[in-house]
Amino acid sequence: MTDNKTSLFGHFGRRRKLRNEICAERERLYRIAWSWCHDASMAEDLAQEAVTRALAKVDTLRDESRLQVWLTQILANLYRDQYRRIQPETGLDSDMLASNEDPEHSADRAQLINRTREAIAALKEDQRQVLTLVDVAEFSYADTAAILGVPVGTVMSRLSRSRRRMREILEQQGIGHAAVIPLRRPK
Amino acid sequence: MNPNDELEVNAYIDGELSTDQQAELLEAMRQDPELARRACELNQMKAQLRLAYAEPPRPGTGAGGMVKASWRALAVSVLLLAVGMLGGWLLHANTIVSTPEPARFVMLDPDGRGQAPAIASDGETRIVFHLTNPDQTVAGELLDEVEDLLAAYEAGHRPLRVEVVSHSDGLDLLRERLSQHKVRIGELAERFDNLTFVACQNSIDRIKIEHGIEVKLVPDAELIDSGVDHVVKRQREGWSYIRV
Repeated sequence: MTDNKTSLFGHFGRRRKLRNEICAERERLYRIAWSWCHDASMAEDLAQEAVTRALAKVDTLRDESRLQVWLTQILANLYRDQYRRIQPETGLDSDMLASNEDPEHSADRAQLINRTREAIAALKEDQRQVLTLVDVAEFSYADTAAILGVPVGTVMSRLSRSRRRMREILEQQGIGHAAVIPLRRPK
Repeated sequence: MNPNDELEVNAYIDGELSTDQQAELLEAMRQDPELARRACELNQMKAQLRLAYAEPPRPGTGAGGMVKASWRALAVSVLLLAVGMLGGWLLHANTIVSTPEPARFVMLDPDGRGQAPAIASDGETRIVFHLTNPDQTVAGELLDEVEDLLAAYEAGHRPLRVEVVSHSDGLDLLRERLSQHKVRIGELAERFDNLTFVACQNSIDRIKIEHGIEVKLVPDAELIDSGVDHVVKRQREGWSYIRV
């Protein structure tokens, strides 16, 4: 009887703890989703749906240390199945501009942020996803591969290609030579 | 730069190289300034990217945005706490149903009242969810939980009845024009005979008087005169009560 109760409480405790942790990840999921689609309401829907699904199948998570990878995997699957097909193959638009009016942020900084987002938006979908998972969400190559369901080698080559492309776009924008962020050292 | 070098420099700035590999690459960079410059550039781009996405815009940004969001997060977590405990309890009710001291397993609602889930003499479990929260995210979470619960009982061939009573601001869930979960409600009602959605007539009348709006409900909603009277009646009948 005592064992029974202990395990029952243990079960409650684990579920409750996990549920709280899942809810706490929402902000992070939103950021990742937004970096993929650059659309606030879509990102909100994606993050919400990912959290909802995770909560519904919380008992299927075996390894709690993999919570973030598991959640992001759910997010990536949702994005692939429900949203990607309504997106154009390349290029995003919409609500990507950082505010210039925020006194905390200088105009230069806002410009840098906007140009970086524009460059990301111009990448191909798969390149953008890999790049943001590694740089924004700071996942390892192995985790990124697990999230996207591709081999690690694919992650590496996509990443390398997307960074090369990013550099080209930034240079076209003129950032490469701007005083704001010297990508090339002055000779 | 050859493709292999490029992959390696990328792996280096992403912290994916072993100590040995790093040492090797650092040595190579010392001899090849182009390689070193590339690593520096990539590192800078990485930092730039992190900055660009540190603060993504919020839907409907404005000063009230964050306050509303955190309030909602709180509401959701309160709901989940209550529902999670009930769900855990109910899913395991078969293991402890023979234990005649349920006082320790107290289920909390947001008002701090607690009670154990009711199991009627015929073995049927009965729960009434009282939805007064206008937030449809909360309502969505509620529907998830309700679905889980119904599915688990169905799978275990255990009898269960669930009512979702929407009342006051919670009525939005069942309003044809405002509900974000119309389709879902229809599907759930179709799939589970033992699930009922109940709307409060008083709340509907009040909306008409205060705002002059004629409320139209989703097809699966059943009407009762007073939501409050109904949940009180259910509690008296021994139903478990959870306020959302």
